[in-house]
Amino acid sequence: MTTFAVEVLEPAGAAGVAGRGHAFWARLARLAWIAPVLVALIVTTLYPTVFLLALAFSKSTLGKPFRGFVGIKHFATALQDPIFLAAIGRSVAYALATSLVQLALGFLIALLFTSLLKAGRFLMSLVLLPLMTPPVMVGIAWKLIFAPAGGLLNGTLITYGFISEPISFLGHPTLAWLAIGAADLWQWTPFIVILCFAALSTVPDSVHEAALMDGANGWQRFWHIKLPLVAAPLSSIYLLKLILSFKLFDLIYILTFGGPGFATTSAGFAIYRRAIEQFDVGRAAAETMIYALVIGLVTLPVVRLHQHFERREL
Amino acid sequence: MRPAARHLWLGLATAPVVSFFALPFLYLIAVSFKTKDDVLNGRFWPTMPTLANWPAAFDAANILGFILNSVIVSLVSGLVTIALALPSAYAVLRLKIGGKWLSDVTLSSYMAPPIVALIPLFFLLKTTGLLDTRAGLILIYGFANVPVAFWLLMPFLRRMPIEIEQAAAMDGAGPFRTLLQIVVPIIAPGIVATFIIVTVLSYNEFLFASAFTFSDATRTLPVGISLFQGDRLVNFGQMAAASLAGIAPVYLVALFMQRYLVSGLAHGGVK
Repeated sequence: MTTFAVEVLEPAGAAGVAGRGHAFWARLARLAWIAPVLVALIVTTLYPTVFLLALAFSKSTLGKPFRGFVGIKHFATALQDPIFLAAIGRSVAYALATSLVQLALGFLIALLFTSLLKAGRFLMSLVLLPLMTPPVMVGIAWKLIFAPAGGLLNGTLITYGFISEPISFLGHPTLAWLAIGAADLWQWTPFIVILCFAALSTVPDSVHEAALMDGANGWQRFWHIKLPLVAAPLSSIYLLKLILSFKLFDLIYILTFGGPGFATTSAGFAIYRRAIEQFDVGRAAAETMIYALVIGLVTLPVVRLHQHFERREL
Repeated sequence: MRPAARHLWLGLATAPVVSFFALPFLYLIAVSFKTKDDVLNGRFWPTMPTLANWPAAFDAANILGFILNSVIVSLVSGLVTIALALPSAYAVLRLKIGGKWLSDVTLSSYMAPPIVALIPLFFLLKTTGLLDTRAGLILIYGFANVPVAFWLLMPFLRRMPIEIEQAAAMDGAGPFRTLLQIVVPIIAPGIVATFIIVTVLSYNEFLFASAFTFSDATRTLPVGISLFQGDRLVNFGQMAAASLAGIAPVYLVALFMQRYLVSGLAHGGVK
């Protein structure tokens, strides 16, 4: 905040003769430029954080918040609740795994599209469609595919004789996660393809040609030249997908509603049900704080990795 | 590798990729034309296509009303987001107001999952009387998408040659006039791309919409569709038709605006 104030005062000081009142108005005018974003940040980030913190230490329901201070009771309950802890574990594992799989797949598809030249750019606008699809509709499309009665996957597997009885994909703990992962992969890999395609197009042709002259084969050119050059953007793409994966909610709501049992209940979904269905807003707030802290801890190493690659580039 | 062999390999690699991404969408289309009995046989295409699902879906739920709510909320909130983010992004970059501090805080605010803001925003809307109104949802989306817009606009602003702005300043144009009359026309493609992306984000949003709207007059399409699938009478054909009706506006935008979109996403995503 102090550096900010110094910057703001500088032009007024340079004007020299300007009085105190003038400096005040100049400062206000400069503040007006960023006021919209400050208001947005206060409404969507600062206020929710403060409000949640207050809720987390109070006896609160959705109808009547802040009915007395309860200390760290909600945090203690949440940290002793195996169902909630398991939900956090699932969210972290899911985010790390899906982001990695999608980054690898998206990068390969981007390499393929780069080799396809003109056709690749056409395909790029095609893969834009999954990305634009409302997640609720993505969930419904994949729910139809995985449905036990009349679903495409069961129908195909039975027709070709792989199975004789339909499988309830969404009713099986592991298969249900794979189904959610498939829908997620369908929706978000295109985003990674677009970003990787952009990152690959920043690799100058001259680098490629120089390596070719030195007699490097295809694999060497890729592993020693191309990959290190795109390592920084790749790490930022992974970070971005990680952040997006922690927001997973819609697909679970539509595909499994957290079931069977609690098998596909993610942290976000557990908090949602606690607040919206059980109205226990105080405990939901404490759980939210814990989840946010875990996200921070998980993403920090990725942020560090990204900074490492960026420094190396300079 | 010889060119012919190379083409063969590329084709062999491309075919499964394209089919995978096309499959769910094509299946949705196929199911929307299936009769109830036809759905159960598990084949891809309908054996006796019917048009009945489409009018039935529109009768069963207020799909058109939901689409209208979604379109109004997403377009207006998109405008709000751009109006909030553009001057600030410009100020941070060119007028050195707020500096690195503001852009860092803006970006990190995007990291927290929306569930964090769900309960506090619920109470905020309740106190201001905006719960279950389109205006409430417009404000929430308008504010919530600011970090995304800020992030997407920045690279377009950064690549804008500073000499043009300096020339405008020499001619006596104030920073706000320079932004509106010089910068905005030049980076218009970036603004359009950003507007489309934040609008689509609002159109697709589900979590806030499901918690903050609970009447047919305000429900957005994803909420309406999610209720549809929760109904006792689950009819796959109607569900597919309703979903497709909801997807159609976004796909139309995507097809006509794909150039802007790909460049907007690509520039914003990687530094």
